[in-house]
Amino acid sequence: MQQVTRKKLGEGVALTCVTTPRFKRAVLRVMLLLPLGGAEAACRACLPQVLRRGTAKLPDLRAIGETLDERYGARIEGVVRKEGETLCIGFLADCIDEAYAPGADGLTAGVIALLADLLYDPCLQDGVFRAADVEGERGALLDRIAAQKNDPRLWAPRRLTELMCADEPYGLSALGTAEQAARIGAERLYAAYRRALDEAQIELFYCGTRPPDEIERLFGATPLTRRRTAVRPLPQARIVARPVGAPREVIEQAAVAQAKLSLGFRTGGHCLTGGDPAAYWLFQTVFGGSTSSKLFLNVREKQSLCYYASAQFAASKGILMVHSGIENDKFATARDEILRQLDACRAGEMTDGELEAARRSLVNGWRTLLDDPLALERYWLSQAAAGTLVAPEERIAQVQAVERAQVVQAAQDTALDLVYLMEGTAG
Amino acid sequence: MIRNETALREQICTRTLDNGLRVCYLPKPGFSKTFAILATDFGSVDASFTFEGQRYDTPAGVAHFLEHKMFEERDGNALQKFARTGASPNAFTSHTMTAYHFSCTDRFAENLEILLRLAFVPYFTADNVEKERGIIGQEIGMMEDTPGWQVFCGLLAGLYHEHPVRVSIAGSVDSIAQITPETLYTCHRAFYSPRNMVLVVCGTADFDEICRLATQFSPQDAPTIGQRHYGTRRDTVAAPLVTRQMPTSLPQFLLGFKDEPLRPGESRLRRGLLGELAARILCGDTAPLYATLYEQRLIGRDLDTDYMLLPQAAVGMIGGESRDPQAVRAAVEAEVVRLAHEGIDEALFRRMKKAVYGLRLRVLDAPDVYARQQANALFGGEDYLDCIPLFDTIGAADVQAVFARWAQPDRSCLSIVAAD
Repeated sequence: MQQVTRKKLGEGVALTCVTTPRFKRAVLRVMLLLPLGGAEAACRACLPQVLRRGTAKLPDLRAIGETLDERYGARIEGVVRKEGETLCIGFLADCIDEAYAPGADGLTAGVIALLADLLYDPCLQDGVFRAADVEGERGALLDRIAAQKNDPRLWAPRRLTELMCADEPYGLSALGTAEQAARIGAERLYAAYRRALDEAQIELFYCGTRPPDEIERLFGATPLTRRRTAVRPLPQARIVARPVGAPREVIEQAAVAQAKLSLGFRTGGHCLTGGDPAAYWLFQTVFGGSTSSKLFLNVREKQSLCYYASAQFAASKGILMVHSGIENDKFATARDEILRQLDACRAGEMTDGELEAARRSLVNGWRTLLDDPLALERYWLSQAAAGTLVAPEERIAQVQAVERAQVVQAAQDTALDLVYLMEGTAG
Repeated sequence: MIRNETALREQICTRTLDNGLRVCYLPKPGFSKTFAILATDFGSVDASFTFEGQRYDTPAGVAHFLEHKMFEERDGNALQKFARTGASPNAFTSHTMTAYHFSCTDRFAENLEILLRLAFVPYFTADNVEKERGIIGQEIGMMEDTPGWQVFCGLLAGLYHEHPVRVSIAGSVDSIAQITPETLYTCHRAFYSPRNMVLVVCGTADFDEICRLATQFSPQDAPTIGQRHYGTRRDTVAAPLVTRQMPTSLPQFLLGFKDEPLRPGESRLRRGLLGELAARILCGDTAPLYATLYEQRLIGRDLDTDYMLLPQAAVGMIGGESRDPQAVRAAVEAEVVRLAHEGIDEALFRRMKKAVYGLRLRVLDAPDVYARQQANALFGGEDYLDCIPLFDTIGAADVQAVFARWAQPDRSCLSIVAAD
């Protein structure tokens, strides 16, 4: 039903097409992949929104808005994402399929042309970005950097990775720092833009009903596939298999009612591109990946310590994190209970039922992914960023073949690196 | 009944069982996932009601508490039964609906049986109710720390004098302290009657099998809920401004326009379309006013517009982050008055209709969203897809009439969450 093709369209430019008749909309993406961090990090994070302000043909938000509405509410959003230690900046778009609206012929072609214009034909003034756009988006970026702390449920995990991976690019925010952002000016930004266009790996994506050769032709007619000579290969994410020293504990205060407890672990090298990721996903799922996991059943259901406690495997980086929301005075109890459940996994204390439930849950998750064009976009981008191209169907087959001993081994390879508590002072 | 929408390549199969349960199947050939949702027309606003001749005023948060407790079964926990099949289950309580759902890629019949049993067979004890208080207390604490939720609750408290939507869906630690197994049994009996519920399945399944299982695992006894009490309604807002203090980097705001509730016989879907069109024309992210406010740095990229319909209440909303929510309010309210008087530019109206059509169509690609929308539509006696032909019945003057209502004095409330 679903055909995935991947084609190189030029130096450092690849197009992934998922061809399927099942959706009524098409999803498209144009993304520049660059190493995370560096002096231009904030400039790069700022670029999609500055570019989104206008093209030479559609010079402002009004003109772009009118065009999108006329294309049956097509959406194009600027994106800044972190995939492992790769920064992804660009645009994500969706539009309804031509077949489902009167007079919608050429809709996909129009969206592809607009995506290319946004990236390659911005509205300039004296050869650089317009000062008003740059000023506005610099301010907006500073706001976004400050807003990272607004939701404690998102901030605690971010803070954990920042502390745990302080010496690795992974600890950096995709948005860059406030200091960098404050220095953004029209010329500096334009130079960063030219450099990004020259150096980035470009990942194009389409999911929809149109055949791959048609999409290839449409992208081929834009500057996206023009000759580039300075493309840089992407560095692989640095996998730190074991914690450098003894486990650390960091406690910080925040004016929130509920404390947030996050634990970070190294996986012993299991990651997207190394070790035994399938076994690791199984271990993570048994440990804290679903409502039948050890964390959910023991930390939440048995002890009522929290509303949520779950484990997350950042496969692109090879780390495992446990996140939960607790009362301040339950810190030690919750931490110890989480570690006790990990010990149980290490000791092989998992029933066949638990193991098979985890396996089915993972298989279900990957199969479900095939029904969601946005999830497919994200999946294939994370694969490309890691320099691997394993289809969800292959992941399913791998997980089906994993044996108990491998899962126990994955648990035994897991080592605590950092415990982070955001203590609530408003409770 | 089987309804074919040939142009959209969609089919809707519906049947009402003898006990009143409405069953609906939306086929999605080629999809891996099948999504099923069993929903009751019972939300957080339905805390006061008359049932079998007696009036009940239950503690705030009871619908949500009940949602948590339904997973508990005499022989274990339904979540663990789902875990054995690999399905992905969940539940939610909104102001108007409590729903249980799962998605699966195989063993559909087994999962549907678990779903039906969990919703129709209550099992509450003093112990298991007590245990849940702790978990829900943590959930309430988490929501209290979420600025987006707080700004929403603030708006509803400002818009309404008595309507129970003023109270947060999960209630408070104090209100849930009053919930007993008896409260839960009463609410279950009153609202989890098959007559008050719908089952919607979207994906690849067999309609006859769905109906057979639904018949087998839903009770014959189907009491009818009496009146629901929402207090005395007023056209004007309770407070024009509500502010709450929270640590947030920029003030978050939600501006609401109190609209007239649905008239008897009025189509929910049509009102929803009118409201969505009005909100988008006013300040959707492709509207002229949005561009102006954005260029003035009064709003950020993520400005949301929405229209919410509740029993005896309706509200149009615009919200996001702003350095100066009062300035946004002034600009938006001036635009409402202008649109109410001058009407809507024909070209703008036409393109917004195209855009909203495209957004509605996209819903059909997401089985979970589509099924939820269909459940909601069924409670109003409609199918979600009825919204497509409704587009032709809506003209610029209809949306102008919405603005005329919003432009009346004392119809708006601004809710702000800010650091100091």
